[in-house]
Amino acid sequence: MQSYTHTSSDTTVIRGITLRKGPARESCFTVVEDNTKLSFNADPDYETGKDMSDSMRRNRIHTHMHNEMQSIEIAAQSLADFPDAPWELRMELARQCWDESRHAAALLRRLKQMGGHKGEFPVIHYEWYITCVQDSLIARLAIQNRTFEGGEMDLLKVHAQMWRDAGDEVTAELLEAILPDEIHHVRFANVWMKRLAKDDPRVLLKVLTGISFMKWVSQVFAPAPDETNASGGKVSETVHPTPPNVDDRRLAEFTEQEIAELLRQDGFGYLVPQAS
Amino acid sequence: MGLNVKIRGKAVATFRYIHVDMMETLAQWTPSSPEMEAKLMLGEHIWDVAQSADALGKRTRELRMQLHHSEKPADAYVELLADIRKEPGTAQRLASFYEVLLPGLAERYRAYLDQTDTLMDGPTVRIIEQMHAVEARMMSQYRELRGEVPTLGKVDSTWVKALSQRESQIASIVT
Repeated sequence: MQSYTHTSSDTTVIRGITLRKGPARESCFTVVEDNTKLSFNADPDYETGKDMSDSMRRNRIHTHMHNEMQSIEIAAQSLADFPDAPWELRMELARQCWDESRHAAALLRRLKQMGGHKGEFPVIHYEWYITCVQDSLIARLAIQNRTFEGGEMDLLKVHAQMWRDAGDEVTAELLEAILPDEIHHVRFANVWMKRLAKDDPRVLLKVLTGISFMKWVSQVFAPAPDETNASGGKVSETVHPTPPNVDDRRLAEFTEQEIAELLRQDGFGYLVPQAS
Repeated sequence: MGLNVKIRGKAVATFRYIHVDMMETLAQWTPSSPEMEAKLMLGEHIWDVAQSADALGKRTRELRMQLHHSEKPADAYVELLADIRKEPGTAQRLASFYEVLLPGLAERYRAYLDQTDTLMDGPTVRIIEQMHAVEARMMSQYRELRGEVPTLGKVDSTWVKALSQRESQIASIVT
């Protein structure tokens, strides 16, 4: 499979790192390049990471909607950038475009039901920047599908319960309806990464480079311990660990070893059965 | 007398080329068109067009060609596809796709169905009927979108007419 060659017109430099220039946005959206410019609340009335005030509910839906829109764009860009990818893999990406479109549309509908509107909160193109600058499709699958969407699988399970606990069954069911699609996006990435690596083990270097790049960008973009966001809340208080969604990761064809490793990395190693 | 197997295969492979090209065009436009509602529609239509390309590609093997074989259409049509893909504005992009390319293809499907033996070429007929129905729904969604986001309907009608004329002047797309 051929590599995608970037031109200077489709890249941008943020914090000294060359990234793919962001996708086009309507003027109603405020695009920021920094997590601290996002407006996640850290309302002291709520337990850390569980702010469910009216504004924060809309913010959560808005952020998720924008992420889904970004996921359509990432899958679509890969279809455009890698015309010689295997047809069956292109079909998976094409299907993903529709899935993510349905997710974004359903979240937009929900946002409007809550009295919100597109562009109500600042957005960031973080996943796009990192994924679409990769010159190989296998690295993009490793980053976007396997890592970011894999993480979303974990979040969706926790968040569906959070909405249910907050008395919003409609949103809880919406998140639960999105989850099976995301499982498939992670699964097809896992299946194809294995297949591509079997055909040509050299592509594993692309995966390694891509994942190292992602980790490096995450470090560079990570907020300082006391940094506050646009709402005046501590950024560190808007982030909380999410345990890996083990059942769905199995469905997405993660191996038991990979799941155990994820549990350990996220501080849930005590859940891993010890070898006798 | 209907079309022979070789001619059927060439037509199916040409339709496949066009659908793969259309899928890539919609994919390229999705991140580069700013309007959210347009992105959501394009995302859905990428999958619609991909499914058509897939069905046509499976049919090429049944018609004694390689699986997913594509044949380049006539040069004038290839140039038309390339020019449409290069359109920078969302309204122009959508008009060229949904008001020119898809209606033009519908005419070409009709011409094919008129010529082929619908009994012996039944599998192709079914695929084309299916594509025709899907593409009619896509055009209807485009019209709905224009109602929802009026700026997407702001296109010079003379320009659209000229593009349609350019499309219809390409007598045969199969080489």
